[in-house]
Amino acid sequence: PLGDIPVLISEDKVISQPAKILNFLRKQKYNADYELSAKQGADTLAYIALLEEKLLPALLHTFWIEAENYCSVTKPWFASRIAFPLSLYLPGKMSREALNRILLTKGGPPLYSLTEVEAQIYRDAKECLNLLSKRLGTSQFFFGDTPTTLDAFVFGFLAPIYKVCFPRVQLQEHLKQLPNLCRFCDDILTCYFRLSVSGHSSAGQNTADANLQKLTQLVNKESNLIEKMDDNLRKSPQHPPRKLTTLKLAAGGEESSPFNRLSP
Amino acid sequence: AAEPWPENAALYQQLKDEQILLSDNASSLAVQAFLQMCNLPIRVVCRANAEYMSPSGKVPFIHVGNQVVSELGPIVQFVKAKGHSLSDGLDEVQKAEMKAYMELVNNMLLTAELYLQWCDDVTVEEITYPRYGSPYPWPLNRILSYQKQWEVKRKMKAIGWAGKTLEQVLEDVDQCCQALSQRLGTQPYFFNKQPTELDALVFGHLFTILTTQLITDELSEKVKNYSNLTAFCRRIEQQYFEGHDKDSSTIAARSAKRSLLR
Repeated sequence: PLGDIPVLISEDKVISQPAKILNFLRKQKYNADYELSAKQGADTLAYIALLEEKLLPALLHTFWIEAENYCSVTKPWFASRIAFPLSLYLPGKMSREALNRILLTKGGPPLYSLTEVEAQIYRDAKECLNLLSKRLGTSQFFFGDTPTTLDAFVFGFLAPIYKVCFPRVQLQEHLKQLPNLCRFCDDILTCYFRLSVSGHSSAGQNTADANLQKLTQLVNKESNLIEKMDDNLRKSPQHPPRKLTTLKLAAGGEESSPFNRLSP
Repeated sequence: AAEPWPENAALYQQLKDEQILLSDNASSLAVQAFLQMCNLPIRVVCRANAEYMSPSGKVPFIHVGNQVVSELGPIVQFVKAKGHSLSDGLDEVQKAEMKAYMELVNNMLLTAELYLQWCDDVTVEEITYPRYGSPYPWPLNRILSYQKQWEVKRKMKAIGWAGKTLEQVLEDVDQCCQALSQRLGTQPYFFNKQPTELDALVFGHLFTILTTQLITDELSEKVKNYSNLTAFCRRIEQQYFEGHDKDSSTIAARSAKRSLLR
């Protein structure tokens, strides 16, 4: 409704922006971070800041500003899901906003032209991917064997880069050179999204459609993912028993109502 | 890059007592702390037009030999190229963590400082406007202040902070301090025995917040809630700043001296 995605609509409340959605879910007693120590909680905040600062500009650029990508993938995909005549206006607006954001935060002197800014943000993004890969190492999730908020955030950033077929793919190629991050994405996709990963490699003629569909689901389901993680956690024996009872009562009502959809 | 560090290296910032603002002071102090930790001598030079002299438009910047480098990130790299580094002893995962925490501080603390000084109307009227343009005659001082405010507000809007209220900003600061406090725990520095650039950055921001007098004390109260952070600041101040320059002083004396209220 406010032109912002992702949007969580629960009963009669509308919340946008990942951080606020997470807060809301936490207050509703869905929390994937029970198992974390204080220090790990602090690490989560720090890594999220790193992602937003280093990876997000490049992600925005790949989706919205890189001319070939924008024209052939992003714009048609968005336009196909939004009612006319908003489909003419909204993608353009989001593109302009993305460009604005990048230029204002990254484009000060001594970087004077857009190409220099682009070079810098892609360098930053590749460094960020390397750092994530080193941090993940060989473990399944960032903090051991159970997924947490940080895993959801990282997945949200990495999956579009990894799965969407763009004409210009320098970030994707770099990501593919980091096998543990690719494995991480695949794991979460198969566990939580029940999408057949084989759907991606199906028929050449429908590849574009399949990718677009997949992207729709990926981009919109960040909050959904966290909910599912919490589901799993609730079922696990380590979850504090006190919470289990209250959640079970609420589970029936709560689970059906929060759902995501593209705005507006 | 193989030349040794010269004796007359200089760090430029705005005028200390009349002009400099909270966020710039924090950045400048962070760089000074970093250089002290590396044992590299540096002179602090105050110029009214430091912002315009800087190659990236941001203070502080250092003038070493015939090179000019601004902002903590590039300065750390420059110093590393000269052969001095504080983070060599860290393994890859720790380096990743350090970078992540530095981004957190920049993202949250620095943005909160900018918000407070340029988007909070009371602070802007009473502190920022008079200070920022103070070396210049009217109407230039007003014009420069408005221009800078417009720039900062644009940036805030682009990253989504424009819609935040002061309470929300203070909450973010609190969250950030909590994270830093939890990470620091009972260790002397963030990566145990040796200080790194992260320690310098955190010190720069926290010390400035603690010792700068604003309209209200809410910001410094948030930091004071975490005793290990205040102890951390005191420890670094004693170790690296006392006896090094003429007007170094304890935290109490500083707050009396550097009151930003005119």
